Amino acid sequence: MAPHRKSTRPDVLSRMHDQHAQDRKNDRVETGSFPVVGRKPRRNRSLDSNRSRARLITNIFVLVLCALLGYGYVIQINNTRSTYETMSEEELTRLISETSNQVQLLEERRNELEDQLTSLQEAANTQEEAQRIARQNEETSGILSGRLPAVGKGVVIQISQGRIATVDAATMFSLIEELRNAGAEVIAINDVRVVTRTYISDTDEGLVCDGTPLQTPYVVKAIGDPQNLQNAVSIAGGIGSRLEVRYGATVDVTTSDSVEIDEIAESPQYTYARTVQ
Amino acid sequence: MAAVLGLIIGVVIGIFVQPDIPVFMQPYLPIMVVAALDALLGAARAYFQRSFSDKVFVISFFSNVITATLLVLLGNQLGVGSQLQTAVIVVLGIRIFSNVSAIRRFIFRG
Repeated sequence: MAPHRKSTRPDVLSRMHDQHAQDRKNDRVETGSFPVVGRKPRRNRSLDSNRSRARLITNIFVLVLCALLGYGYVIQINNTRSTYETMSEEELTRLISETSNQVQLLEERRNELEDQLTSLQEAANTQEEAQRIARQNEETSGILSGRLPAVGKGVVIQISQGRIATVDAATMFSLIEELRNAGAEVIAINDVRVVTRTYISDTDEGLVCDGTPLQTPYVVKAIGDPQNLQNAVSIAGGIGSRLEVRYGATVDVTTSDSVEIDEIAESPQYTYARTVQ
Repeated sequence: MAAVLGLIIGVVIGIFVQPDIPVFMQPYLPIMVVAALDALLGAARAYFQRSFSDKVFVISFFSNVITATLLVLLGNQLGVGSQLQTAVIVVLGIRIFSNVSAIRRFIFRG
């Protein structure tokens, strides 16, 4: 008994010691929650003959699977421009509503822009119309104020110096008035354009019109209806006969289809008059 | 080593060979890729934990891919395809993150 006990006691002790050492060793293994020793050597022992083949197969498996993964990944990347076929009904509905929304917005924008365009065109038209009127006004007022040369149908009246008396300013003025009454639009005496503020006065040297001495024979050009103008001058008892009878001057009225009046009058600088704003 | 080599080979093949994916497979391919990625990262984690097993890897690879695809297919049939797809992606994403963090802990011990 005693030797048996003696022999077993150290055995148990040493076994416990061994166990303790093994536990400590296992605890030191820094793997997961469980020590993973034990299974591997057993498997290795069983597959010892074809261990290298098994490892090769493993590697091939891993390679093939990883290749599959990479392949699928790249294909999916290249497939991002996917068609609408894969979309669900919900997505398609959303897409349609979004698109129609956008279309509506764009239509609104287009209408806005079209309105702007029309208003701009109208403005441009208005401006053009204003320009046209301004040009017309300029022409009319230019002719009226004597700024522009004029041409048209009319009469040319030649009055020689009176044999009985010199033609005075009042008579010349009434001649101009008669012509105006008959509808003369543009009148010129010798080299002087007759405008609204034209005056004729008597001086010792003869008639002076707007500061320019008038030499005989007086040539009066008038643009208007030739027949009316001629009648106005040569009517019985009119200014023509008065000139002939009282002053002994010869009055020669010629109608022409193209009376050209090149004389222009300087526009005055207005000192006092201002346009009403 | 084999895994990296396989990935490179797959990417190269994918770049040069671009087949038309069948329409019925198109919605499932991204899910498959994510599931496979999760399996791969799980295998990497197991490798670092020295508990890597090829059988387990192959089975987990296929089971991951098939489960994810079936889930999405089921969702499509039930009319909650997009939601279930999102759920699968979220779960796989969480798993990928936890695997990556485990791997990181093995690489930088401590």
